[in-house]
Amino acid sequence: MPMDAFAFKELHLHRELLAAWTVRTVRARYKQSVLGGLWAILQPAATVAIFTVIFTLFIPIDTANVPYVLFAYSAMAPWTFLSTAITDMVDALTVNMNLVSKIYFPREVLPIAAMLARLLDFAIAASVLLIIMLFYGWPILAASWVYLPLIVTIQLALILGVGLIGAACNVFYRDVKHLFALGLQIWLYATPIVYPISVVPEHLRWLYFLNPMAGIIEAYRAVLLQQQAPASTLVIAAMIAAFMLAAGYLFFKRVEAQFADLV
Amino acid sequence: MSYSIRFDNVSKRYRIGRGLPSLRQILGLGRAENPQSANVHWAVRDVSWQLAPGEAMAIIGPNGAGKTTTLKLLSRVTQPTSGAIDIRGRYAALIELGAGFHPDLTGRENIFLNGAILGMKRSEIRRRFDQIVDFAGIEQYLDTPVKRYSSGMTARLGFAVAAHVDPDVLLIDEVLAVGDYAFRMKCYARMNELRERGASLIFVSHNMEDVRRVCDRGLVMYAGAKAFAGTAAEAVAEYANVLRQNASRSAKEANGAGGGLAQRRMTHEARITRVDLVGEDGHTRRAVISGEKVSLVVEFECYADVEQPVFACIMHGPNGELVYDTTTRVLGLTSPSYKAGQRGCITYELTAHLLDGSYTISTDLAYADLSCYYDFVANALTFSVVGGNRAKGVANLWANVEFLPPTPVEATVIDGDSHSKENGTQILQI
Repeated sequence: MPMDAFAFKELHLHRELLAAWTVRTVRARYKQSVLGGLWAILQPAATVAIFTVIFTLFIPIDTANVPYVLFAYSAMAPWTFLSTAITDMVDALTVNMNLVSKIYFPREVLPIAAMLARLLDFAIAASVLLIIMLFYGWPILAASWVYLPLIVTIQLALILGVGLIGAACNVFYRDVKHLFALGLQIWLYATPIVYPISVVPEHLRWLYFLNPMAGIIEAYRAVLLQQQAPASTLVIAAMIAAFMLAAGYLFFKRVEAQFADLV
Repeated sequence: MSYSIRFDNVSKRYRIGRGLPSLRQILGLGRAENPQSANVHWAVRDVSWQLAPGEAMAIIGPNGAGKTTTLKLLSRVTQPTSGAIDIRGRYAALIELGAGFHPDLTGRENIFLNGAILGMKRSEIRRRFDQIVDFAGIEQYLDTPVKRYSSGMTARLGFAVAAHVDPDVLLIDEVLAVGDYAFRMKCYARMNELRERGASLIFVSHNMEDVRRVCDRGLVMYAGAKAFAGTAAEAVAEYANVLRQNASRSAKEANGAGGGLAQRRMTHEARITRVDLVGEDGHTRRAVISGEKVSLVVEFECYADVEQPVFACIMHGPNGELVYDTTTRVLGLTSPSYKAGQRGCITYELTAHLLDGSYTISTDLAYADLSCYYDFVANALTFSVVGGNRAKGVANLWANVEFLPPTPVEATVIDGDSHSKENGTQILQI
């Protein structure tokens, strides 16, 4: 469609704005905060600590020889990226309404910058994963790591698609923000983060892997902890993520003209 | 005609009132909303105009006239409901003070952020950075968060960035009002500079002095429609007339509903039906050249016999000061008598020995004994005077200056200068 080619070109023209807005988002987030970037680690670390206490002391879970901290953190870091990025994206337009209603620029810059700012947090959190792996003497720099860029790309597509839909809908109905907060909470437990996939009944797995995050998390674990290629469930995740990205972007572009009129 | 902006039959409709739109409406599916519905508001309706490169046009009008909506349409913040807008080249818009600034970031960071929002590349901003800082005059505050800036400093920085994007079209809402006089003058100088390079300017302001100073063209808007388009001076004058017509319309409606407006004692046995200012060619004039002869034409209809009424012509100046007030009685004239059902007309030929500014004319028709008015129209029309010299005040006294050749000071003046000598003598006598 020529219109969408134009939209991409315009976004490309505004890549400097995207960069500037991402930097702004990161700077503004950690201005007047004592811990600054440490918060990027504290959030997944605290959750992992809680789950470690519960699932090693109270209800021991079999994680197939992987230390629970490593098991949980390797999933919690990408999950935290997804959940914080989507939460920020849903808010990205509404908190900047004064800008949206006064100045023109491609509106997707705001939610995409919100996601990119969280990508930085993800990078920080991921570097802590390395430290944990070193601590447990886990082999790092395995050949299987070549799959990492692919997995991250699939996850980015999924976040973008869901986040763009959320951001656009939240302009029209503020309920969307609360709905997404609730949805993310449920989604966390529908994803093999605190428990291994082995506890999911065999006959329900096909349904379970319709959750693209299940395939993505399993792929991260396979590559990082098992030094293996991702399972075929990643293909399902990739297809769903690609569909979400296309749907999200088209929906966003379709309704974007109305944003400024809805202050 | 080559244009830099074309505004072609543009309308903009807003939904008003409570209630959320349905998903179907958001996606633009299903039936369109009834345009006549009470739930919609036409902020701009069927407006067309063009602007050539290098021209500056002011958009003036009361609140709710559609000025800001027009700027938002031009800057693509919002899409027109119907019609087409075409802008050639890069534009920069300054619609609200501090929009595009992040309060927690420093002035330096915000220059880059705001420049990026306006579509500048980082390298371009870096090249113009010193100019921007210098123009805004904020060197010492570059590393202070913008939230600690005064509103004047914020406005200066906002204008400085927008004016250095090198726009082909610059759109400015009333953001300069908060700047001090010196800064406003600096802004106008910069606008002129941009215009000389071929940039066009759209300027929204309530300050009529600024409008006349900055713009050559004027567009008067009222209730979303184009009420008048012409030169800036004409538009300023016409704006007052547009306001008055609408005020009198609503006053009439209020009267009809028994509103009981506090009126002067008017019998309305005769009514003034038309007040106009015409040039020597007989055409309506709202922009008058200083020193020019113009005629005030007052037409009226009589509903009862009117015996030798007294006519008055009253003029007020730009600051509401009385400039001129005369009546046929003061002039020693005896006016004719009129019968019921007759129509009359009186013209006052006036010589506009006035300086630049807007002037307002009131006129009335009174009983011969001045006990009552037949009719009194306050602020019947406003016109502006242009082309006076740059003297201040209201009256153009056409100063004719002559220098006598210099002569040496004479030695005969001993105690003080010659002017105080006489006074000194008088004091001694007392």
